[in-house]
Amino acid sequence: MHVLEQFRTLLSTRHKVARNWKSQNKAVVGWTCTYTPEEIIHAADILPVRILGSSGSTRLADAYCPDNMCSFCRSCFDAALKGDYDYLDGYVASNSCDNRGKMYDLWRRHAEISYIYLINTPHTNTERAHAFFYDELVRFKKSLEKAFQTAISDQSLRTAIKVYNENRTLLKKVYDMRREDPPLISGAEALETVLSSMLIPKEEHNKLLNRLLREVSNRNNPPRSGVRLLVSGSIMNDAELLKIVEAAGGSVVADDLCTGSRYFWNLVDSDAKPLHAIARRYLDKVPCPFTYQSEDQFRHVMDMTKRYDVKGAIIFVLKFCDPHLFDAPLLKKELESSGLPVLYLEWEQAMTGIAQLRTRIEAFIEMIRGVD
Amino acid sequence: MSATETRRRLQTTRGFYKNYIKTFYESAHRAKKEDRPVAWVASTFPVEMLQAMDVIPIWPENYASVCAARQVSVRLCEAAEREGFSKDLCSYARCVLGSIFGEKDLPEGGLPKPDFLVASTGACDTHFKWFQVASRRLNRPFFLLDIPYDTTGIELKGYQVEHYAAQLEGLISFLEQQTGSQFDINRLKEVESLSDRTSKLWMEIQDYRKAIPTPMGARDAFSAIFFMLCIPGSEMAIEFYGRLRDELKELVENEIGVIEDERYRLVWDNLPMWFNLNFFDYLNSLGAVIVAETFSHVWAGNLDVSKPLESLARKYLPNFANAVVERRIDLLLRLVKDWSVDGVVLPTNRGCRMMSVGMTVLKDVIHEKLGVPSLILDVDSSDWRNYNEAQVKAEIEAFIEMLSSRG
Repeated sequence: MHVLEQFRTLLSTRHKVARNWKSQNKAVVGWTCTYTPEEIIHAADILPVRILGSSGSTRLADAYCPDNMCSFCRSCFDAALKGDYDYLDGYVASNSCDNRGKMYDLWRRHAEISYIYLINTPHTNTERAHAFFYDELVRFKKSLEKAFQTAISDQSLRTAIKVYNENRTLLKKVYDMRREDPPLISGAEALETVLSSMLIPKEEHNKLLNRLLREVSNRNNPPRSGVRLLVSGSIMNDAELLKIVEAAGGSVVADDLCTGSRYFWNLVDSDAKPLHAIARRYLDKVPCPFTYQSEDQFRHVMDMTKRYDVKGAIIFVLKFCDPHLFDAPLLKKELESSGLPVLYLEWEQAMTGIAQLRTRIEAFIEMIRGVD
Repeated sequence: MSATETRRRLQTTRGFYKNYIKTFYESAHRAKKEDRPVAWVASTFPVEMLQAMDVIPIWPENYASVCAARQVSVRLCEAAEREGFSKDLCSYARCVLGSIFGEKDLPEGGLPKPDFLVASTGACDTHFKWFQVASRRLNRPFFLLDIPYDTTGIELKGYQVEHYAAQLEGLISFLEQQTGSQFDINRLKEVESLSDRTSKLWMEIQDYRKAIPTPMGARDAFSAIFFMLCIPGSEMAIEFYGRLRDELKELVENEIGVIEDERYRLVWDNLPMWFNLNFFDYLNSLGAVIVAETFSHVWAGNLDVSKPLESLARKYLPNFANAVVERRIDLLLRLVKDWSVDGVVLPTNRGCRMMSVGMTVLKDVIHEKLGVPSLILDVDSSDWRNYNEAQVKAEIEAFIEMLSSRG
């Protein structure tokens, strides 16, 4: 199996993969926001996995969730109610955005997980916020140590940092394979590569990434050249939307997604004290719009458009995600003022109204082609 | 008897809009002309800090409710939507953003342009992102008080209070820089002392509503809360609440209710439909009266002037928007028990995740613990396009019917 197919398979069989890990008598902890310092969980010899939903029905969650709630959170909660996550030994929540913060209440009440911790996450990255976040991570570490009866040493944190940084560096190399034209891997494949990194031990993922870098040129079905696009947004559980874009003649060569570049772009400083360095990396990373420092995210987007020689951008906002919805009009303007055409779309996890989205995406790509 | 005649009108709140709200906006515009510092401020922000620096606080949320009551909020929401802001965003935010995008004929002459903006993370994502958007558009500085989340909903942790107080020190530097004045802790203590008295009077008013029949319903409460929300540390607030308290005291002593035939005592959670305050008169016509609102209870808080910064943390940090659901459950259970309540109305707000997500938990817990039923209503605070009156009335009538069959 080509390694790219392996990533796709890991995604579709993620619950089986996690259960296999458990069968080695190891614990699994789910996390939900990219501000969760996975290194600390890894250092406790626990497998951190990102909680993901799916595009299927959310019948069970609908009984508890109002219509005006983010469909990603709804879908994750539905997976928990269905028992998909019954193997979890813990769940790490966050108050990073309102939807997530409130999900903490619902998970505590309805999901049967013995250990649940909410990481109190600042919305700024001032020195005061850094001091608070560091202390919060000390509390989180202690709480993990107590719940899982283990000690997390500085040495194991250093090892985790090394493994995670290697993963980030390799993912960046994989992303850079899309600087070529045609890109060596498609946008859908790149997304599946990042998503799979959130689901298996990073050491194993690093091996797969090294293999991908070696084998990519031997593939027998390389992507065709298309209209080079950047995709911005929050979370994508799977590559369905990107597949639609690429089937319409687009080539997603860069992204600004919480399940994409924003997840891995920044490294932890491996020379500093480990827990301090971890805390700093998360608060200073390419930010999510829930933070005060949105301008840093806009800068990241603009850098990506240049690095990947982008001809247009699509902003996909998941409905009812307030932080993204407030920032999107400004991000759109910034992109447009640099001369790029921008398509703004709101979508829902259940992929309702997808035919209409497809039509608009096709028209957008045609329009860029016409200009060129 | 028509719906509007069911309700007995209080003396103190008569002409409230004209006497107080209109005057408030006029004086804010005047202050702006006189070059006194004016700031936009969002709920859950420790406004006493601004008052102590003689900054005029302007509340865009209040302005949105004014625009809704004056039936112009949808026009303003549409103006924001034309600028790319989603229809799914909070209608307060869209309404106020719409008012700065060049719309004409604004109630009370629009909001005075702020010298700076302040908000806290303690209310919701919306407040802070909305203010950030406004600060970029108006090209004015924005200070965000980044406060910790109340993770137990029962007891604040020491480190949370400390961090809040540390953030206030950052705020002091910001305010000094913006106003060019020196912060004076004694001035803050004076303001806090007034604010504390305001809160106490407001809570006395709430306590009188425990009486059967209750002397005041939601319609008056949602007007009168203006001082509690907007200018708590002021003589005007104390004077007004003193008179309101005295009026309620007399009504209670004479066993006069706000409606003649009080049959169902209800709690109202969260915000009203500001564009349709007659809705409460309609409830009255069914023999139902709102005896308590969660909204009337989250803003009051005692301040200990011997610990001026810490007590602001203790007042503002644990509001239920910034806390796990236990905080909101605790308040609702208390209101249901102590105000002798028959049923709870939980109105969602289309653009508000904070209020809407988790309502099923509230409904379940209130029923489990006290056997009291709740009704979740899908409505909106200021955008009547998200409000289906026929459906809402049908649900209310079915709910009242159910309450009556319980006896």
